[in-house]
Amino acid sequence: MNRYFSIQAGRVRRPEGSFFGNAARLMAAIFFLIFSIALTNGEVDRANQVKAVFLFRLTQFVEWPARAFEFSQSPIIIGVLGEDPFGEALAAAIKGEKVGERPLIIRYYRRVEEVQACHVLFISRSETAKVDAIVAALMGRSILTVSEIEDFVLKHHGMIRFMTEQNKVNLRINLETAKAAGLELSSRLLRVAEVVPKR
Amino acid sequence: MDSRLNKKSSLFGFAILLIELAHPVFGQPHTETAREIEALKGLSIEQLSAIDITSVSKRSERLIDSPSAIQVISSEDIRRSGASSLAEALRLAPNLQVAQVDSRQWAVSSRGFNSVTADKLLVLIDGRTVYTPLFSGVFWDAQNVMLEDIDRIEVISGPGATLWGANAVNGVINVTTKSARETQGTLVSAGGGSFLKDFTSIRYGDKIGKDVYFRLYGMGFQRDTTLLPNGRDGNNDWSLAQGGFRADWLPPQGEMLTLQGDFYGSEIEQLAPGDSRTDGQNVLSRWAHPIADGSDLIIQTYWDRTWRRIPNVLSDDLNTYDLDVQHRIVLSDRNKLVSGLGYRLMADEVGNSAAIAFLPERRNLQLFGGFVQDETELVEDRLILTLGSKIEHNDYSGFQFQPSIRLAWTPITNQTVWAAVSRAVRSPSRIDADVVAPGVPPYSLQGGGNGFESERLIAYELGYHTQLTRRLGMSIAGFYNDYDDIRSVEFLPGSTTQTIIVNGLRAKTYGAEFSLLWEPIDGWRLRGGYTYFKKRLLDTGSDVNHGTAEGNDPHHQVVLQSMVDLPAHLEFDSLVRYVDNLDEIGPTVPAYISMDLRLGWKPFPHWEFSIVGQNLLDNQHPEFGPLSTRQEIPRSVYGKVTWTF
Repeated sequence: MNRYFSIQAGRVRRPEGSFFGNAARLMAAIFFLIFSIALTNGEVDRANQVKAVFLFRLTQFVEWPARAFEFSQSPIIIGVLGEDPFGEALAAAIKGEKVGERPLIIRYYRRVEEVQACHVLFISRSETAKVDAIVAALMGRSILTVSEIEDFVLKHHGMIRFMTEQNKVNLRINLETAKAAGLELSSRLLRVAEVVPKR
Repeated sequence: MDSRLNKKSSLFGFAILLIELAHPVFGQPHTETAREIEALKGLSIEQLSAIDITSVSKRSERLIDSPSAIQVISSEDIRRSGASSLAEALRLAPNLQVAQVDSRQWAVSSRGFNSVTADKLLVLIDGRTVYTPLFSGVFWDAQNVMLEDIDRIEVISGPGATLWGANAVNGVINVTTKSARETQGTLVSAGGGSFLKDFTSIRYGDKIGKDVYFRLYGMGFQRDTTLLPNGRDGNNDWSLAQGGFRADWLPPQGEMLTLQGDFYGSEIEQLAPGDSRTDGQNVLSRWAHPIADGSDLIIQTYWDRTWRRIPNVLSDDLNTYDLDVQHRIVLSDRNKLVSGLGYRLMADEVGNSAAIAFLPERRNLQLFGGFVQDETELVEDRLILTLGSKIEHNDYSGFQFQPSIRLAWTPITNQTVWAAVSRAVRSPSRIDADVVAPGVPPYSLQGGGNGFESERLIAYELGYHTQLTRRLGMSIAGFYNDYDDIRSVEFLPGSTTQTIIVNGLRAKTYGAEFSLLWEPIDGWRLRGGYTYFKKRLLDTGSDVNHGTAEGNDPHHQVVLQSMVDLPAHLEFDSLVRYVDNLDEIGPTVPAYISMDLRLGWKPFPHWEFSIVGQNLLDNQHPEFGPLSTRQEIPRSVYGKVTWTF
C-alpha cells in the first residue's frame, strides 16, 4: 500500500504531517514541467482564421451555374487576389474537404488579369485602390467576390463583405449582383447575413 | 538473426513509437493555427458569425491584470466536464467549495462558512441576483440554466462588495449566458441514465429584421433520489420543467438592448407529509449604451418571482423588483471611473407552520445604494490603484459602508502581483431577525429583530497571476479574513430553554488558492487547483452551537479537469476532486476522492454523442450534512445526444 495515501473505495486517510512533504514534491515537479515548456509563436490572428473558415463555408451555400465547371468533379477554386492575409489558415480550412464531389483548390493572384477559372475570389485590402477596376473586370463571370474593403458591397458592386463589428465577423451580401452573375445563395446563408438592398 | 541487433532495433522501434506518441497521436494537425481552424470548422455558419474574435491571449491578459482571485469556467469546460446542472458546473472552479447534499440541495461557498444556507456569497445570473432574503443564501434547486446557453461563469473568491454590494463577502459567482446572436439555429439535446434519469433541452434561435436576434428554449429533467447511508432510497426524486427566451437588439453602433425571461416549476419527492413544490418566473431588460471613447451607460431592471412550499414546514413567495444604473467614464488615458446606483424591493410572504414561523409573515424589504470606484494607472501599464466604496441601506441594519483598496503591479508583461484590503458586510436576512421556532409560543428560538447587526469582514489579500507561456497560466492568492459580529444563538438572560439570535461570534480565517491552466501538448488541456483553508472561531462560549452552525469547511481541496482530443473525433475527459474531511460538526464527513469521466464523439458536424460516468470511485459517498439527515451521492452513468442544425 502507498505510504502516503491509502485509498479505500475512493476515500482517503492521510497520516498527519506527510501532506506538505508530498505537496512540496508535487509543486517542485509542476514547476519543473512549467519551465521546460517552450513558447509557441507565429499564429494567424483570430479574425483571419474565422474569415478563412468563412471562405470555405461559403462554397457550401452557393450554387454556381453548370457552365462554371467543366466536369461534375471539377474542383471549386478559391482565389486570393493581392496580399494574402490568411497564411496557412486557408489551406487548413479546405484541407480534406469536398463540396459534393468537388474538391477545393486555392489559387493566389497578383493581378485580376491572372484570374482564369475561379469560383470564389477574395480581394485583399491591398487592392483597395483598384477595387472598382477589379469588379468591372470580373463582370459577367460567375465568380463570388468577397472582400473586407470598406463599402465593397454598398458602393463597389462586390457581392460579400466581411464586416467586423462587436468583435464578431459578419457578412453583408448584395443579392442582386450575385444573381446577376448567375449565383444562387442559400436562404440559410442569407439568414445569418445582412442582405442589401433590403428585401 | 543476431539477437543483439534484434534487441537494438526493437529499442529503436520503441523510441520511434515514443516520438510518435508524443505528438500526432492526438490526431490533430501539428500547428496551433491548423488546430484552431479545425475547431472553427466544427461550427455552423450561424456560430461562425457569432464567434468572438478577440484573441484568447487578450482576454486572458485582462484576467491576468485583474487585482482579485478570479477563476473563469468557459462553456467548453462545462461541456467537456459532463456537468448536468449549474451547481455541478461550479465544481470546475477550484476556488469554490461545492458539496452535493441530496438530489437538489447543494452547499456552495468560497473561503469557508459553507452550508446549505451559506450566506456570504453573491450569485448573479445574467445580472439578476438570485439570493433569497430569507437566509441570504441561494436555493440552488431554483437556479437552473440551459448549460448550452452559458457563455462563461466567473468566480471571484474574496470580497467583491465595493462593486457588487452586500453579500459579496466571501465571493461572487457571475453566470453569463450567450447573446441570442450566438445561439442561432436549432439545438436538441436529450439523454438519460441511472441518477439523472432523463433530460431534454431544446432551443431555437432566429433573427427578426436586421439587428434583432432571439432564442426560445425549453428544458426538463428527472433526477433520482440520493441514497441513505445504508444504501436505501433517500426519497428525494426531483423533476423540473423550465422554459424561457432571450432577445438582443444589436445595432451596428455598438448598442445592446436585451430582454430575457425564464419560468420554471419543479417537484421534489418527500415521504411525509408530501412532495415539495417550487415555481418561479422572471423578466429582465438591459440597455448598454456606449458613449464616446470607451465610456458607457448600462441600465438594467428586472422582476423575479420565486415560490416554494415544503409541506408542514414553510412556504415562501418572493417578488423582487430591481433597478440598476451603471456609468463608466474614461477620465483620462490613465484614469477610469465607474459609478452606479441601485434600488431593490423584495416583497416576501412566508406561509408559517407549527414548526417554524417568520414574523411578520409579509415583509417588504428595501435595499438602495450607490458605489464609486476609480482606477488609476500610477505608472503606465505597470502599477494600477483601484479605490472605491459602496454605500448601501437595508431595512434591518441601516447604512453600510463597504470600501476597498487594490493595487496591481505588473513588473513584466503577463506577470501581476496584487494586494487588496476590503471591508464587506453580510446584511441581516429574515432568518436572523424574524424567525421563531416553534411556530407558536413559547418559542425556544427567536430572531434578533432590529438588534441583529450586519456581519462584518475586513479582508487582506495578496495574489500573483502569470501567463508563463501561451500554454500555461497560473495564479495563487492568499488571504487573511477578520470577521466580527458573526451570528450566534444564545440563551435569553436568565433562561435555559429560550434562545435568541445575536452577533456573538468572531472568526479569523486564512488560506491559499492555487490554480493552473495548462496545455501540455496540442489536444490536451488541464485546468484545476488546490485550496488550503483554516478557520478559527472566537468567543464561542456563549453560542449554544459553539460556532458549529456557521459552516463546515475542508482544509484541503484539489480539483483537476483534463480534456483530451483523440483521433476519429473522439474526446476523453475527466474531472477528479479530492475533498478533505469536514470535522467541524461531529460526526465528520470523511474525506473523499471522486472521479467523473466523459467520452464524447462527434462523427458528423451537427451531431455529438457522449457517455458520462459520475462519482465513479465508490458506490455512494456523503459530501455534506449531519449524520441524522445525511444523504449519499451514488455512482451514476448517463448518455447524451446533441443535434444542432
